[in-house]
Formats: sequence, C-alpha cells, structure tokens
Amino acid sequence: MSAFVTALGNLFKKPATVCYPFEPTYKPTDYRGLIEHVPEVCIWCRRCEIDCLSGAIVFSQDLEGQQTFHYNPYVCIYCGECVAVCPKEGSIFQIAANAAPAVKAQDVNNQWGITFDNAVESRKVYMAEKKRLADLKKAEQAAAAAEAKAAAAATVTTAAAVTPAEQIATAAPIVPPPSEPTAPTAE
Amino acid sequence: MKQQFEIPVGAQHISLLEPLHFKLTTENETIVDADANLYYVHRGIENACVTKFKYRQVPLVVGRVCGLCSVSHGTAAAQVIEKLTKVEIPLRAKYLRMLVIELDRIHSHLLCLAHVAENSGFEALFMQTMRDREYSMELLESVCGNRVQYDYSIVGGVNRDLRPDVAADIKTKLALLKPRVQALHEVFETNWSLSLKNKGVGAISKELAMKLNAVGPLARAAGVPIDVRNETEDLLPWKELGFEMILDTAGDVYARNMVRIKELYVAFRIIDNILNGLPEGDIANISKALPEGEAIVRVEAPRGELMHYARGNKTNVLERLKIKAPTFSNVGAMVEIFKGNQYASAPAIIASYDPCLSCTAR
Repeated sequence: MSAFVTALGNLFKKPATVCYPFEPTYKPTDYRGLIEHVPEVCIWCRRCEIDCLSGAIVFSQDLEGQQTFHYNPYVCIYCGECVAVCPKEGSIFQIAANAAPAVKAQDVNNQWGITFDNAVESRKVYMAEKKRLADLKKAEQAAAAAEAKAAAAATVTTAAAVTPAEQIATAAPIVPPPSEPTAPTAE
Repeated sequence: MKQQFEIPVGAQHISLLEPLHFKLTTENETIVDADANLYYVHRGIENACVTKFKYRQVPLVVGRVCGLCSVSHGTAAAQVIEKLTKVEIPLRAKYLRMLVIELDRIHSHLLCLAHVAENSGFEALFMQTMRDREYSMELLESVCGNRVQYDYSIVGGVNRDLRPDVAADIKTKLALLKPRVQALHEVFETNWSLSLKNKGVGAISKELAMKLNAVGPLARAAGVPIDVRNETEDLLPWKELGFEMILDTAGDVYARNMVRIKELYVAFRIIDNILNGLPEGDIANISKALPEGEAIVRVEAPRGELMHYARGNKTNVLERLKIKAPTFSNVGAMVEIFKGNQYASAPAIIASYDPCLSCTAR
C-alpha cells in the first residue's frame, strides 16, 4: 500500500536523475581523474611509462637527451599506478578533473598511435646517436693512443726534447662531433 | 509426444544483460529441455596477466574482468599474490577491503533485484530500486575515487585511506538507504503481481543444488549452506564483524530475492561494525619479495564463491593465473532450473541467476 502511495507521490516529484550535460553530476573531492606531470621536478626515470597498464604514458627524447612527457587521457584507465610507483614525490599526480569528450576531428586514437611510435623511435635515434658518438670518441682515443705510442717510441729512439703529453696535445686535437642525426639502425 | 520447438534466447536478447545463449526446447508453453552456450566475450585476461603484466599490476588488471564485482577480483588476486610473496597485510587494510566488498555487494544485489523486477514486468519497481542503488554507487565513488573500476586492493594492502568525512558520508547515506531497502523488502515480499512471476517459479531442490555445485545466493536460496565468509577466517575476519549466513528453503525466484535483500541487511551491519571499529595503522605493507610457489584464494563475491589460483617462479611475472568465477559454477544449475517452467517465466528466471558472463569468459 505504501508503495502505491509512493508511486502516486512520484508523479508530482522532480525526477531523481540529473540532467547531466547542463547540471553537474555527483563528484567526490578526491575523484581519480587526469594525470598531471611536472617536468621541473621529474627525474626522468620512466618508471611511470614502464608500469602504466594501458600504455597511456610515453617519453620522447631529442638528440640532446632532453625528454618530453606525452600522455593520452583517452587511453588512460585512471588507476593511479604511475603515481604510486613514482620515486620522486610531486612530479606526477592525479587531479579530480575529467578529460573533455574527444571529437572525431581530433582523431585521438590514430594520433596517439603515431605519437607513441614516434616517441619510441626518437629514443632509438638518440641511443644510436649516443652509441655513434661514443664509438667515434673511442676510435679517436685509440688513434691518439696509437699515435702517442708511436711518438713515444720515436722519442725513445731519437731522444728528442718533446714530452709525449705535449705531442698528444699537438698531434690529436679533439674534433667536435657532427650534430646531424644518423639513420636508426634497422632492427 | 507433442511437437517440440527450439527457441533461442540470446546471445543478444532484450531480457539479457550479458552475452549468454540459451537454447530452450519447448512443448506448447512449457520448457522441457535447455542448453547454454557461453564464452562469447573471451578476452584472454589470464594470459595477459602471465605474459604482459608484472605481478604488482595483476590486481588492477583482473579488476577489469568484471564491472560489478571488480573489487572481489582485485582483492582475490591481491590476496593470492600476498600468499605467494608471504606478505602479512595490516588489519586496517583488511577492514577497508571488507568495507568496499560489502558496499559492492549492496550495489550488485540491488542491481539484480531491479532486473528481476523489470524482467517480471514491474518497471516501476525497477526504477525505484535503481534510484536507491545510486546511494551505494556514490559511496563507492567517494571511497575509491571511481564509480565502476575501484582499483582498491593492491598487493600488500589498499590504495587509499578512508577519510573521516567519507566515513561520515557513508553513515549518513546508509541511514537514508536503510528505510528505502525496508520499503523495497516489503514490496518484494508482499506484492501480489510480482509473486505471480516469482513464487514457485524456477525452483531448485537442495539436493539438486548440491549435486550441481551451485554457489552464492542461488544455492543459499535452496538451503545449501555455502558461503566463503562462513568458511575462511584467515584472510578477512568476517565473523567478528557480525556476518550471518542467510538461508531459505524454497529455491525459487522469490527465495533468491529474499536471500539477496536479507544479505543487504547483513552488509549494512558489517559496514556499521567496520566504521565503528576501524583499527588505526598503515593501509599497505609493500614488500619487494617475488612470488614463489602456488596458492589458492577464495572470496565471496556478490554472485558466490570466486576462486583465484596463481603460481609464481621467483620472477616479476606470474607463471599461471586461473580465475574461476561464480557464474561458471552455477551454469549446471542454471540449465537445470529451466525445465518444467513456462517459457514466459524465462526472463525473470535468467535475471534471478544474476549471471556474469564477462567474469566467466574473462
């Protein structure tokens, strides 16, 4: 009987639902929302990228080694694992705001795929460049050492007044490395 | 022999929430035989957990197995990994896990009751029940920070602490919800038109339920005393928080409704006890041990007994993870219950099973 009265009363009550886009819905104060990153505090260890479940975080790297944080709120599952694993307090945190609805023109899924692949590629390029520079430096050092050895042998035989160290400094000036990127190695 | 017709229900059907296919053989209006096809939504989560994800991420991944009993899956996975890594979690974390599991049970049971009402043809009761369910959804959102995927249990404890204002919020909202549930109880118990579709419909005997290994409210409504909360005490201390097993004898849709509503009262009592006696201390005990050996954990999800099995080999990735969802255990009984009922009762019977096929197919 009371249910019947309630049903009649409901005819004259406001609806229990919320008229959502025009009125805000219920949202708790510490709602789990978007991930924010502070580059000034970050130590660039990439733990958040490694431990991200859905692959919503990726770091790209330019040739100087400077990393950039990329984040896709439409791939993110808002689990907060990146915040939990971060070793540096305050460099990544979760705010209570939602992502705005994406529209078709933004093409978020395809664009994110491209961004992700480019970021991974840029890190490979950086590593290849680093390796190339290291190899170059190693070869230069080896050449300088060989030259110094030859010169030392020459000094021993000819008993010249020039010391080996001076000879290295004059014989092998350090060549500044070229800055153009090399093509990534095929893998 | 009368002429028989095979009527398919599903995999997409207006009365089904989940992709489940029943093949019902009918004579006139009576169902004489039934068959079920499952596993339309297999996603390979178990394989992903042992190949792609580290063991610390597994509780968050298996939470995605099911939208309704997310916290049960997450807690079971966290507990089984805690067993493998031999981590003892703080008492406060245990209490908070139980709090969220019970809040989850409230919203899941209210959803099931709403769908039984809807599939029995009582749309208004569906609306009322879903409106009241919103309280429990808001509470889960304020406790866990998300409405559906809670991500609450992690390996070693829980993700976030219960703030005092959220605890006060739980008390005020449950105080509003309790009289509503009492009103719903009265309707589900005494409404005559609902009883036509529920009383004596879809009945199963205690012997058959035991024989077919039914679990959860389906078995308890038939009088089988099976509840993980009654059997295990080592991982979550249910009994000291006022757990009490709800049993019925009839085994029909009406009895399942009554079991679910009475379990809501038990959940209210457990939540009150948790809030009043929440111990102080840490919420998580993070260790760096690697999982080794094998272990089994059982958790009482809203639909029944949920089992997680895991094996580790001292690496960061588990060697094997097996999830046995409650609906999987119930399929045998679900098929058997149809026999002898009217075809028109099938939607209400299906809703009263509370099937969760995304759990079952994983």
